Amino acid sequence: MLLQGTPCFYLVVLIGEYMSKGKVLGVILIILLIVFIVFTRKGLFGKGDVAEEQNRYTATFIDIFDTRTEIVGYAPTEDEFSKKATALREELINYNNLYDIYNDYEGVNNIKTINDNAGVQPVVVDEKIIDLLKFSKEMYAATDGRVNIAMGSVLSIWHRYREAGVDDPENAKLPPIEDLKAAAEHTDIENLIIDETAKTVYLQDPEMSLDVGSTAKGYAAQKTMEFARAQGYSNMLLSLGGNIAGIDGRIDGTPFRLGIQNPDMDSDVDYIKKVDIKDGQCVVSSGDYQRYYEVDGKRYCHIINPDTLFPSDTFAQVSIITDDSGMADAFSTALYNMTIEDGLEFVNTNDNIEAMWVYADGSIVYSDNFEQYLVD
Amino acid sequence: MKRNDIILIAVLLVVSIGLLIGVNIYRKNNTSGSAKVEVTVDGKVYGTYPLDEDRQERIELADGSYNILKISDGKASVIEASCPDKICVNTADIHYTDETIVCLPNKVVVKIVNGEENDVDGMTR
Amino acid sequence: MKTKKITLIGLLIALAFVLSYVEFLLPLSIGIPGAKIGLANLAIMVALFLLGWQEALMLSIVRVILVGFTFGNMAMMMYSLAGAALSFAAMLIAKKTKKFSITGVSVIGGVFHNVGQILVAMAVLETEQLIYYLPFLIVIGTISGIVIGIIASMIHKRIKGISNLF
Repeated sequence: MLLQGTPCFYLVVLIGEYMSKGKVLGVILIILLIVFIVFTRKGLFGKGDVAEEQNRYTATFIDIFDTRTEIVGYAPTEDEFSKKATALREELINYNNLYDIYNDYEGVNNIKTINDNAGVQPVVVDEKIIDLLKFSKEMYAATDGRVNIAMGSVLSIWHRYREAGVDDPENAKLPPIEDLKAAAEHTDIENLIIDETAKTVYLQDPEMSLDVGSTAKGYAAQKTMEFARAQGYSNMLLSLGGNIAGIDGRIDGTPFRLGIQNPDMDSDVDYIKKVDIKDGQCVVSSGDYQRYYEVDGKRYCHIINPDTLFPSDTFAQVSIITDDSGMADAFSTALYNMTIEDGLEFVNTNDNIEAMWVYADGSIVYSDNFEQYLVD
Repeated sequence: MKRNDIILIAVLLVVSIGLLIGVNIYRKNNTSGSAKVEVTVDGKVYGTYPLDEDRQERIELADGSYNILKISDGKASVIEASCPDKICVNTADIHYTDETIVCLPNKVVVKIVNGEENDVDGMTR
Repeated sequence: MKTKKITLIGLLIALAFVLSYVEFLLPLSIGIPGAKIGLANLAIMVALFLLGWQEALMLSIVRVILVGFTFGNMAMMMYSLAGAALSFAAMLIAKKTKKFSITGVSVIGGVFHNVGQILVAMAVLETEQLIYYLPFLIVIGTISGIVIGIIASMIHKRIKGISNLF
């Protein structure tokens, strides 16, 4: 017989004889039972798939939130990874367009539309904008006004002077304090009127404008990670301009390890510290080392203290570890604008937030439990 | 177990130790040598330069904007740029695989390929 | 006689399958792709020494196909098949030389299973990077081969007496 000795032959023999032979029947029943158990349990273990053929990939996008987006993930092929990365990118671009304060998009009412209609009329907006603005108001309350998205009028003055100063360092100037004070008259967040039933947003003060820079990126990152989880993505890292959040850890079961940028850019040490994060945790730093300009040898960064209307200069950097990207972004900005005493009290009285402050001379202050995340 | 089994096991262990040493030497000689700096402009590859040769490269864009890439001591950095924010210039130098320097206004991405593996998965900025 | 042989093969298939499942549930998390304890090799060793090479080969192939369809995908099945084929050929040669005991044959099987998988993975993924894992895979294959060889020879000793029936 041609098939003799092949697996098929034995299977045929097994099936052919099972009726008459009780033992063979038993064996087949056992096999079927195992297959049944395996199939019913597979749902539980499907996630793990086959570890040895998951490759690590990184995707970089530069068209979202005026910053760089990096996605680290694992997949058997680059195509499969790209599919996931593209899905996340589409989510982020949607948020980017809605939360943009500089550009218009065809058929979209975004934050710029709201600003353009300040004092004119309420604007009907997407639910995602309402949610962000409500979240931003919560952050305003939680940080005692140190995170204020209604500061657009003040921030845009600094933005203009900074760009001019970076472009022409010889003639870099500080904005006149009178201009800043005049603009600060129009930063009352109570004039941001959200009508949840009509789905409209209205700025009562025609001179005010929204700048969601301190909350939008983090909030979008948080929502996108929630989207990724809902899609069943695992072992993934999303970095939105340095606001980094992880799902699970590395594919081999070890946690994701993140470097915290050394604020001293001239140093050979890339990372001032390294931390291991748990599933769902997020790390973000605020500092004076990337977006800044110099006037008469003094550095002025992009984070403006609402109390002084000037950039804070207490710290070189503040980093936060928490479990919500939106809060992480807002809190790191708030801490950057606080004194160390206020900051320590703020962090140590809030659950699930840890922080690290770095001074210009490199000295470091930790909150109560930050050090448990440090490695090396 | 037979005597031959013991010999077999011993031989295998010696072979694997030998391989380990060989592979590490090979790796040291090759990966650092083949590490490259890949420059893309708006997603298209502009040029690839070895990381172990010191050089300066002016990345010219169609609209006249530019970034100047500097490679020295096995590290890459952008030392000058025409962009308004200069964030690329203010980014620390890079040498680990997949590390990037990004200039958003010019859509320039400088990336390390086939370099030394980083022990961190990401970094705050 | 025939029935007993078929029954034993069926049992060994079930055993190999269960052992593969156990291994699937307890993956070796050491960050090395292709690293396997190779528990299922126990059933194949028993078949090889008790029944003969044709039966052992059949068992080996059926196991890979069953496990591939239940837990894995085509790619995984291809790696497994390559590993299984290389390991089987090596074990058969080792056995034919009569120079090694069950343990020695098992060690050779374990090592070549890992080596075969990594070679196919290298060819498919077109990356030489994976060769860095080779020394570790050899060590893991050797250790698991020793353990499985010792267990297999214990089993062999106990049922050698009745194996004349087959």
